[in-house]
Amino acid sequence: MSVFAGNPQLVGAELLEGTFIFDLERSARGLRLNRFLHGLVIPERRALFKSDPQAAFDLARLTPEEQQMVRDLDWRSLIHYGASFFTLEKLGRVSGVSNPAMVAAMRGETLEVFLATRRVPGAR
Amino acid sequence: MARIIGGIGTSHVPTIGLAFDRNKQADPDWAPLFEGYAPVARWLAEKKPDVLVFFFNDHATTFFFDHYPTFAIGVWDEYPIADEGMGPRRVPPLRGHAPLSRHIATALVNDEFDMSIFQDLALDHGLNSPLTMLYPEAVAAGCWPVPLVPIEVNVLQHPMPTPLRCWKLGQAVRRAVESWPEDLSVVVVGTGGLSHQMNGERAGFNNEAWDREFLQLIHTDPLALTRMRLADFARLGGSEGAEVVMWLAMRGALSPIVSKVHQSYYLPMTTAMAVAVFEEAA
Repeated sequence: MSVFAGNPQLVGAELLEGTFIFDLERSARGLRLNRFLHGLVIPERRALFKSDPQAAFDLARLTPEEQQMVRDLDWRSLIHYGASFFTLEKLGRVSGVSNPAMVAAMRGETLEVFLATRRVPGAR
Repeated sequence: MARIIGGIGTSHVPTIGLAFDRNKQADPDWAPLFEGYAPVARWLAEKKPDVLVFFFNDHATTFFFDHYPTFAIGVWDEYPIADEGMGPRRVPPLRGHAPLSRHIATALVNDEFDMSIFQDLALDHGLNSPLTMLYPEAVAAGCWPVPLVPIEVNVLQHPMPTPLRCWKLGQAVRRAVESWPEDLSVVVVGTGGLSHQMNGERAGFNNEAWDREFLQLIHTDPLALTRMRLADFARLGGSEGAEVVMWLAMRGALSPIVSKVHQSYYLPMTTAMAVAVFEEAA
């Protein structure tokens, strides 16, 4: 069986280093975490997360490992674990972290180093 | 009968909407983006389509992975702007063309495209980010000048629909539009891309050479794109860049030969922002 459960469309995708293809295996592993992150589109959930993160984590039944990654805004670990970038984007907005800053963190770079590689560093 | 008069391919990066909301038209970092879209807005103002059929994707905002639709079509007459974590953008709710939407939904299912069907759901930047560039006057006016038929495509979770399937969906949408008895002029819009990757250590990947080739192929040889695998799109344009299969749905709804009347490409930060306009022969 291929890395991606025999999906012929994904043959070769396993060769892309530093790439986390969001397939059904990953979706299952990240379901609880992604459900918590997705919930941040609801104003009351955002308010709870901001005022009492532990209560928000408990409501979502996040594991201690999941809670720590969210507390740390550890974008790289969250992606490795099974978060979808698009649910993480909600956490980014709630936490005031821009997409370029999230991308830089995933690359293991500071924002400044990352922006220096961009054509228009001010366009964010 | 209803008739497709042209198609638009456009990126839907959230920062496009953000730049609009923050009035960055004169900001040198953003001016090239606005200049790239101005001819598209002029083309729409001149052609005055009655309806836009919009192939777009949700970003785990409206839908969640506990039940993620592969293809979904909205059949309501108004769609709220979705809250993506900072409150909804302050733009008018989207208008839907409910009668045509219901007709297209029915026609697609009878044409063996078993769509999910949704009613009054809030929709995210996948649709509203490019829309403000296409109709920049609408926000001040407080109303969109044109109703939409929103068609959602899963490009978040594999198995995604294949490139060929997206192309065939576009062809089926054309048949559906042309079986509507009322005289309506329709523009189809395909959103997404171009090259970008938003996960892992490869995040920030771009490939302008591939983007330029894609823009050529989508015009002159879209069938070549339907023969590629999603893995090829991910390798060439980044894992999130594979969402350009939605341009194939737009292109599939057009005639084999169309003229490209405008194209713009701008790659300021993490995602290549492109827009292209294709026109059917009169």
